[in-house]
Formats: sequence, structure tokens, C-alpha cells
Amino acid sequence: MQTRTLGATGQRSTVVAFGAIALNWLEQEGANQMVELVREHGINHFDVAPTYGDAELKLGPKLRQYREDIFLGCKTQERSYEAAWKKLERSLDRLGVDTIDLYQVHGLEYEDELETITAEDGALRAFREAQEQGLIDHIGLTSHGNPDLILDAIGEIDDMDSLMFPLNPVVDARDDADHDYDAVLQRADQEDIGTLAIKTFAKGPWPDTDELPEHERPYANWYEPVDDPETIRERLNYTLSRGVTSVLTPGDPKLVKMVLDAGDRFEELDEAAQRAIVEQARHDESPVPEQLHH
Amino acid sequence: MDVPATVRTALADRPVEGRRCLEAGAGAGNAAAGLLDAGAADVLAVTNDREHARTVRERVGTDHPGRVGVFEADLRSIPLPDDSVAVVTAHALFNVVPTTDLDVIASEITRVAAPGAHLLVDDYAPLPDGASIRDLFALENAARELADARPALTFYPGGVLRGVFETRGWEFDRRKTLLDPVPWTESHVTAHADTVRDAAARIDGDLRNVLVNRTDSLVTEIGSESVGEMYSLAFQLPE
Ligand SMILES: C[S@@+](CC[C@H](N)C(=O)[O-])C[C@H]1O[C@@H](n2cnc3c(N)ncnc32)[C@H](O)[C@@H]1O
Repeated sequence: MQTRTLGATGQRSTVVAFGAIALNWLEQEGANQMVELVREHGINHFDVAPTYGDAELKLGPKLRQYREDIFLGCKTQERSYEAAWKKLERSLDRLGVDTIDLYQVHGLEYEDELETITAEDGALRAFREAQEQGLIDHIGLTSHGNPDLILDAIGEIDDMDSLMFPLNPVVDARDDADHDYDAVLQRADQEDIGTLAIKTFAKGPWPDTDELPEHERPYANWYEPVDDPETIRERLNYTLSRGVTSVLTPGDPKLVKMVLDAGDRFEELDEAAQRAIVEQARHDESPVPEQLHH
Repeated sequence: MDVPATVRTALADRPVEGRRCLEAGAGAGNAAAGLLDAGAADVLAVTNDREHARTVRERVGTDHPGRVGVFEADLRSIPLPDDSVAVVTAHALFNVVPTTDLDVIASEITRVAAPGAHLLVDDYAPLPDGASIRDLFALENAARELADARPALTFYPGGVLRGVFETRGWEFDRRKTLLDPVPWTESHVTAHADTVRDAAARIDGDLRNVLVNRTDSLVTEIGSESVGEMYSLAFQLPE
């Protein structure tokens, strides 16, 4: 599988990165097999979090076996210095490793959180101390929040090496400020910050729980995913052609293999072909019935 | 409303800011929305379809009060004085203009455009052989010819439309590919199938059922199809 440079880290990540949340839904042996499969496709960038159920524990055995070959991303939702330190130590412990390559502020959503993490007793001080002690190598941030907030975060956090945010044609078809992740992508490129795309395979939000109770959802994703190989391939080609470093595999283990296969066959789309995919998304979503044209 | 990527891309290299614009063939108002978003002083949107006029008023007019004028009129005689607009967009217009009307509409657009005006002509290149959606468009054309004695769709090669405007003094500036392939989504297929059914309903005799039945099976057969090219031509009138 192709690799791309992750910002200024020097790391070359495969264009598909493994979202280890998928392991949470598998028994240990299934989890081991999944990691083997992922490695067979050459994937060298893994991402996990302490909030993904048992994912850290289930990733542990195979991660330790292949530690040298894997660029490991982990994250924390803690915003304070003390709590972030504790959570980092817990993750190292649960994963059973000495170091994490990329430690990320997880799910930044509100302006006041940005204030908290950058403050004197904020999480980022813990990140930087851990970096000095060699426990983590790089610092990143993840968010599916407001693009403006992410831009602010780029401005505030000088040592940010990577950003994880939503990118797909449905989002790109919307042009209000709440969906302007393109601005984030441009800015990240300018600042030489690596970019990791999430929600690439999102079709839309799940129906209301009255209509479809959570336990009846066919996939363990945060959103309803696209789930046929051709559409998955189109989404992946699209998002990678937009220029992100890597796209994360979706949360449901059933979809991981399709994404890996699509990653092996990745083909760059030119701009006219990218627009074709955005137009398709716009029409699938369009509130105006009977549009005959583009 | 969200401005489609096609419109945004076509307008990206045109000077729209502060100018009076004409959207020839307003349809869903996509180009009007793009023009306003790009800073047009105001947009005059012309369509001969009452429903479209209403859609544009609702979708675009409400977002930009006072900057959109919707005219229900025929582009073969545009109700505007000579030299009155600085930018004209014919976004996905000509594919619904039959060959018989092409010359007249081009002349009218030229008449109302001021010296130095810019013109965008965005349309579909003829579909390649073997595209399934062509069968649906063929049925649509057959039904409209039989019902109304005019075709529904004509996909002009870019070179033809270029010639039509150059003949009238427009200087050709550039050609861009807006979409390649063109995504004919399920909602397009359904909408085109509906126009076949509407037209077929106005035909007497056996052909009506033949057209409708063939359309019904085509819709399932096609589903959706990505094929063909949408291009954008840009022109300017000499000062
Ligand atoms: C496919 S739509 C164009 C799409 C539109 N420009 C947009 O960006 O959403 C074609 C429009 O041209 C109008 N039209 C076609 N022939 C016309 C004519 N002779 N006079 C006035 N309007 C015409 C149709 O009624 C329709 O509104």
C-alpha cells in the first residue's frame, strides 16, 4: 500500500491507517487475526483510545509482537495536567508498551476546552513532559467539532504534528462554515501538520432510536456507513485525492477488509472526478426534488 | 443553500463581484446562488417554467433579499434592454434547448450583454456509445417529440456552442472540465423517468404503453450511472 509523509514527523504512514476501535467488538483471537490481516495489507499506522472499550487491551499482544513496525497513535479526552498524565500511564500500561508515537488530544469540541488544555495546568503540559521523558514522540489533536475551533487550535498549539478530522464528499458538498474542513486541510498543509481523515465512509446519521434502536444497528459505527465495496473505494479514492495523509478504517470490523482492499487499489482522482463524487453526494442529500441537472 | 461544486468551479475565474448578472435558464437557481455567493450586485434569473421561478424565489431569493429578480419569460425574447448585464451564465441550459431555438437564444443573450461582458456556457458533452442512460434520454426525446413535437434533451459538443457564440462576436477564453464522469444518480434517473411518463401520458395509442413499460424496466436496469463529461466554456465580448 502507498505511504505518505505525516507532516513534519518524518513518519511515512500507509494511506489507510487502522482504527483499532474495531477490535473492541471482537474476542481476543478475532482481534489477533484482524491485526494480522491489517499487517498483511502493509498498514503501519494504528490508532487507539482508552475510551474504545477493550480495544487497548485487545491490541496489546499483537502490538507488542510487532511494536517496531507500528506507528502507534493513542489519545486522551482528559483536559487537565494531572488527569492527562494518569490516562497516558494507564494507556501505556493497558497496551503494554513503553512509548506511544503520537499522543492526541481526543475530541476537542468546545472553545473552553482549548483554553483548558493550553493553560498552565492543562493536558498539553503533561504531553510535553511525557515527550521530554521519551514516553511519547509526537503531539496531535482530533476533533469532529467546528472547523473554526480546529483552526484556533492550530494557532494555539505550535508543536502540533497531526490533526484528525472528518472528511468526505458529503461534508464537502456543504459550504457553510460548520462544514468547512477544507479550510482545516489547507491550513494544516501550510503548517506541515499531518492529516488523518475520519468519517470518510459515513453515509449519514443513524435513524432516530425510536425508529431503529441502537442495538439493532447493523454496524458498530458512530454513523451509518456506506457498505458496498465500490462506494467504499470511491470514498477512499476521493478523500485521499483531497490530499490527507491517511484515512482511518471505520469502527465496524465487518467493513475493515473492504477498506483495506480499496487502499491496495487506491487511484488518485483528478479534480473533475472529485467534483463528480461531490455532486453525487449533493444529489443523494438534496432537499430539492426533481433536479434533472448538475 | 449550498452552491454546487460545478457552479463554484465554473465561476472561480470569472469577475462577478459587484456586477449585474443574468442567469439564462434559472432551473433550480444553482447558478444564481453561485453568482450571489461570488458577490454579484444582483442576479436576474430568467426561466419559462413557473415551478422553476417559484423554486428560485424560495431557494435563492429568501437568502439574498433584494438581490434576485426572477423573470418568467422566454429566452427567445429576453425582457431586458440592450447591453444591460455584465455577466451571463447559461449553466446546463442548452441541453434543454432544441436546435431550432439555439440561434435565437444566442442572439438574445448577446443583445442584452454589455460590451466587455462575460459569458459562461456549461453543458454536457454528447454521451459515449454504450452509456445505459442514453436509452433513457432516447425514450425521453421520443416521448417529448411525439407529445410536444420537440426533443427534451440535446447534448451539444462544446465546439458547437463555442462556434455559435464566436459567430456573434464573443471571444473564446477557456474550456474547463467540470465533471468527468457525470454522476447520473438515482434521483436523476427517477426524475428523467417521470418526464417520460408525463409526456407519454399526452400520447394516444399503443406507443404510450410501450414507452412507459420500457422506462419502468430501464429505471431498475440503470439504477445510477456515472458517465460522460460536463464542460464549461467562458467567453468575453470586446470592450
Ligand atoms: C436545466 S435548467 C438550468 C439549471 C440552472 N441554470 C441551475 O443552475 O440550477 C434549464 C432552465 O432553462 C429554462 N429554459 C429552457 N428553455 C427556455 C426558454 N426558451 N426560455 C426561458 N427559459 C428556458 C428551463 O425552464 C429551466 O428553468
